[in-house]
Amino acid sequence: MADPFIEVDFAQQSKAGQGAPGDVFVSKRLTQEGGLVCVLADGLGSGIKANVLATLTATMAMKYARSDMNIRKVAQIIMATLPVCSQRKIGYSTFTIIDIRSNGQIRVVEHDNPPFVLLHGDRVQRVSKQDFAIETAGLGLRRLFYSRFQAEQGARLIVYSDGISQSGMGSRSMPLGWTDPSTVGFLTNRVRSAPDISARQLCRAAVAQALNNDGHTAKDDISCAVINLRTPRKLLVLTGPPIDKTRDKRLGRMVAEYPGRTAICGGTTANIVARELGRSVEVDLRYIDPDVPPASRLPGVDLVTEGTLTMSRAAELLKNRTDPEQLRNNAAVQLVDAFLQSDIIEFVVGTKINEAHQDPNLPVELDIRRNLIRQIVGILNEKYMKQASCEFI
Amino acid sequence: MTKIEITICTGTACYVMGAGRLLLLQDQLSDRQLQQVEIKGCNCLGLCKQGRYGKAPYARIGDEVIAEATPDALLAALKERLAEWEGD
Repeated sequence: MADPFIEVDFAQQSKAGQGAPGDVFVSKRLTQEGGLVCVLADGLGSGIKANVLATLTATMAMKYARSDMNIRKVAQIIMATLPVCSQRKIGYSTFTIIDIRSNGQIRVVEHDNPPFVLLHGDRVQRVSKQDFAIETAGLGLRRLFYSRFQAEQGARLIVYSDGISQSGMGSRSMPLGWTDPSTVGFLTNRVRSAPDISARQLCRAAVAQALNNDGHTAKDDISCAVINLRTPRKLLVLTGPPIDKTRDKRLGRMVAEYPGRTAICGGTTANIVARELGRSVEVDLRYIDPDVPPASRLPGVDLVTEGTLTMSRAAELLKNRTDPEQLRNNAAVQLVDAFLQSDIIEFVVGTKINEAHQDPNLPVELDIRRNLIRQIVGILNEKYMKQASCEFI
Repeated sequence: MTKIEITICTGTACYVMGAGRLLLLQDQLSDRQLQQVEIKGCNCLGLCKQGRYGKAPYARIGDEVIAEATPDALLAALKERLAEWEGD
């Protein structure tokens, strides 16, 4: 059976009135070994100062964790190196390091963050942890928890900062805050009512609830990351006519046989596929956007858009991490939405140059479409932890 | 009476040259005119590559191609056609 796909997403709400979030979450895929490493760090205080402390911690943790060094040693080095507040006797930042391999083996090191939650379906899985006390010069013992376990497909690992579990503190309904048990209860309820809930949806739901607990003014930085071991959601994106017509048939077959959702970006490409499938494309004029051409409908294909303009806008939205749900509903937004709801995204790029907007005398490397796709693939992989690739035909 | 078909190209070149405005044509039509016309979009009329039709954005009214189309130009072409119908 194929390795599950590791879907990671992160949601955050900065403390009200602060210019920068004091919680930092970083994640990187391990391209060679398969799997990934992520770190959640909560900087002491709030605002830009906390952000710097958290970033320092997270970056350091990430660098060491990605090396072959023993993960406990990594944590010890970090704790020895990073500054500690001598008055309050606590570190300037918390951290949780998660190392997860594609075979489902997970190792977690925690220091001063709320404990991580491991769910299988809607059931909480208890994990035994080793408790280490590390002597730090002149500041006594600081605690570190280390756990190592095997997770299966369908498992979810959730980490969050205390902005989540302490949300609502002092309010009449939650004098002690949301608390860890209630937070866990919320998460399990969500999974129970939507067993296929994505990492993206779950972390955003948790942050939204915590913000709600705080009366819509975040009392602390609220951060939540979810790692979901899932069967990948696949998306096929066709864009551009193939270099020669003999390959047109292949496009039609690809769409018909694809085990996942399909999208076509480009009028000519859509017409080719429509012809091969014996169907017709209809432009949807229900929503007209001043900058992005309207999407179309083609039975058998989930989304049909225009090519260059739409993909340029989509690339911009992805780069700026703009949330598609908060925008007008044009074809570029729909495309970004399709990307974000998928795990494996396969671009098939036709290399026939469109003479209407490219000088055929320019070298092929300057092809607008090709470079745009390369850019989008890069952003999807680096920024969104997707598995995007492209094939040229 | 069969409706007069206006097809507006929503392809890349046409959209860059202002096809978006053309799609809002129906806002400029009277109720009566709206009943007699059908406005459709087409993801590619294939005219920009041919060069001999003039510049984008393109629209087609019946069999006639209108290059460098503007809402006013389409409106004028539509009125002309409707007058023809009425004249008969």
